[in-house]
Amino acid sequence: MYEIRFHGRGGQGAVMAAQSLADAAVRSGFHAQAFPYFGAERRGAPVQAYARIDTKKVRTKSQVYNPDLLVIMDESLSELADIAAGLKPDGRVVMNTTKRPEEVDLGKGVDAVCGTVDASALALEVLKMPVVNTSMLGALARVWDVVPLESIVEAIEDRFGEKLGTRAGILNGEAARTAYDSTIIGRTLGRKEYGKLAEWAPAWNEIPIGNSLRSETRDGVAVGPASSSQNLTGRWKWSTPRYDREKCIRCLRCWWSCPDSAVIRLDDDYMRWDMDHCKGCGICADICPVNAIEMVQGAHTW
Amino acid sequence: MVVRTITGDAAVAYAAMLARAEVVPGFPITPQTVIIEQITEFINDGIMDADFIPAESEHSVMSVAVGASAGGVRTFTATSSQGLALMYEMLFAAAPSRLPVVMAVANRSLGAASGIWTEHNDSQPVRESGWLQVYVEDNQEALDMTIQAFRIAEDHRVMLPIMVCLDGFILSHVVEGVDIPEQSLVDSFLPKFVPVNVLDPKDPFMINPVTPPEFATEMRYQQDRAVEGSKLVIAEVDEQYAAVTGRRYGGLFEEYRMEDAEIALVGAGTWTGIAREAVDQLRAEGKKAGLIKLRFMRPFPGEELKRATAGLKGLGVFDRSAAFNGYGPVFTETRNALYGSSVPITDHVAGIGGRDITVDVVREMYDIVERNASGEKVRECTWHGLRGEQR
Ligand code: SF4
Ligand code: SF4
Repeated sequence: MYEIRFHGRGGQGAVMAAQSLADAAVRSGFHAQAFPYFGAERRGAPVQAYARIDTKKVRTKSQVYNPDLLVIMDESLSELADIAAGLKPDGRVVMNTTKRPEEVDLGKGVDAVCGTVDASALALEVLKMPVVNTSMLGALARVWDVVPLESIVEAIEDRFGEKLGTRAGILNGEAARTAYDSTIIGRTLGRKEYGKLAEWAPAWNEIPIGNSLRSETRDGVAVGPASSSQNLTGRWKWSTPRYDREKCIRCLRCWWSCPDSAVIRLDDDYMRWDMDHCKGCGICADICPVNAIEMVQGAHTW
Repeated sequence: MVVRTITGDAAVAYAAMLARAEVVPGFPITPQTVIIEQITEFINDGIMDADFIPAESEHSVMSVAVGASAGGVRTFTATSSQGLALMYEMLFAAAPSRLPVVMAVANRSLGAASGIWTEHNDSQPVRESGWLQVYVEDNQEALDMTIQAFRIAEDHRVMLPIMVCLDGFILSHVVEGVDIPEQSLVDSFLPKFVPVNVLDPKDPFMINPVTPPEFATEMRYQQDRAVEGSKLVIAEVDEQYAAVTGRRYGGLFEEYRMEDAEIALVGAGTWTGIAREAVDQLRAEGKKAGLIKLRFMRPFPGEELKRATAGLKGLGVFDRSAAFNGYGPVFTETRNALYGSSVPITDHVAGIGGRDITVDVVREMYDIVERNASGEKVRECTWHGLRGEQR
């Protein structure tokens, strides 16, 4: 049985990629399954998706811990955490990056066959959109030849065609083919030491009664469930709100509406932005009655 | 001390007043309504200092109760049947949030075929909601246990909500002489509520935020241990209550004429009083009959029952509802607890939808238990008074 783990960010299409790979495997005579990590889905948040491919029925339903193949759709994820953890000794890697494989470092001991492709640029060029999933599938076929490119393109054309229209299906198939051709094969570096992330794994009698988490505690805010101070949602953003204090009528609507509490109310009822946690969703700009907030492309820290 | 001749519902209302409940959300439903009505009268008369909050449904009643309790105040409410069913979702918010709400449940048949009469099929199905559950036998116990319930629920070793279940009509609408303790006596027994978590805008924190799989197992296990741990507190509180009122109930269950008993029945609710009569008659006839009055369904006294029944030749279980697995819920739990015990055990369903239970019906149960004890083949589960042949 082959196990594949996809790492991406919400909105990049990791789940569609895993499903299309499973679809392609079934088309070429395999048994397969694909599923996401089940959780709240938020645009920009790190996500995982999994696929399994076998010559007989896939019975297991657990997540993938020891992948044969790792698909990294967003390079920045490998800076945050040891995402190659559990990769089999002869496991392979496909990565969306401008680097060559020899420059890719996924942590000490990870000396793996690796294919790199600048899927972001390629997707923008072919699809006119920064959605890299289909390009990554093309690159995957180059690195790992179990499921042939033709089945992958067929699955992409069908699945994306059905969802987004025939033309989009064909374009996405095209993106896969182009990525296949431009993928560079090599081996990863395997030198980096990952620091250990602070974690909170309380025993049952260490959890506060009523599962209550207080703001002054490390467990409540820094690392416990639903905590956010360590989780810099501000790193997800593709666009940034710009606040015009002159226009602001201090109605407080943006302050109420921000889902990440990134709009901070000052003593005089004007606002300040916490850019470490503003994820760029645009809700504040949308709700402002006097257009005092404008969304600007790109991640800024003004 | 005053003895008043009052209904079970009124007894519960007196208890809520004496316990100084501070917030009482409510929605009327027979046969509980009298409890809430009586409380609103106490408030109106200026003898009870509480906020009564009329809600638009029982779901909202329990939501208000959860909010009030999380706000750090002593909270009481009451319901029955469909009302309890409508609260279902919020029951599961109160317990894991460890909020010591006290709620009286005047047991009433739930769902179709619609009936207003008593049956335990409203409270039995929610015994897995994380609430503690006590069933009472008479109006005095309804009052005493409502007071005790606050003490048990609010103990920091427990911090769990609790239902005080009283049979609808048979208690809720029957008058009996009830000793109503002095306020000062109740005050000495029941200290002021000291909450563990108090929601306060000046000190914001979360109770039960989204709990991912990494934490949920531990949190549930903690809840499970809290329910089990309440056994100790229930026994302590029974003693402390006896010390001030002279009334002792035995904690998880009470044993009646069990010393040398050979056959016995176990069951909860008003049935117990009728069963006491049956036991006395059988004893007078020279039969070694005994009775275990089951008081708490949660925590379920599994190990304790196994010990108490170890020497018996036969045991029967009374169920006032069906679990539709061929047996009633009390039987399912009891037989599970007695696994490995050699005591032969039978189930006895009776009193469904308020059908009257007489001493003769209970004697019929003892008869089956006795025959089972002597090795005769009997039905594992008997529906008493059923017309038509039981299959
Ligand atoms: S864009 Fe506005 S609403 Fe969205 S996270 Fe940023 S500050 Fe909050
Ligand atoms: S919504 Fe607009 S006007 Fe209102 S407080 Fe925010 S920025 Fe100011």
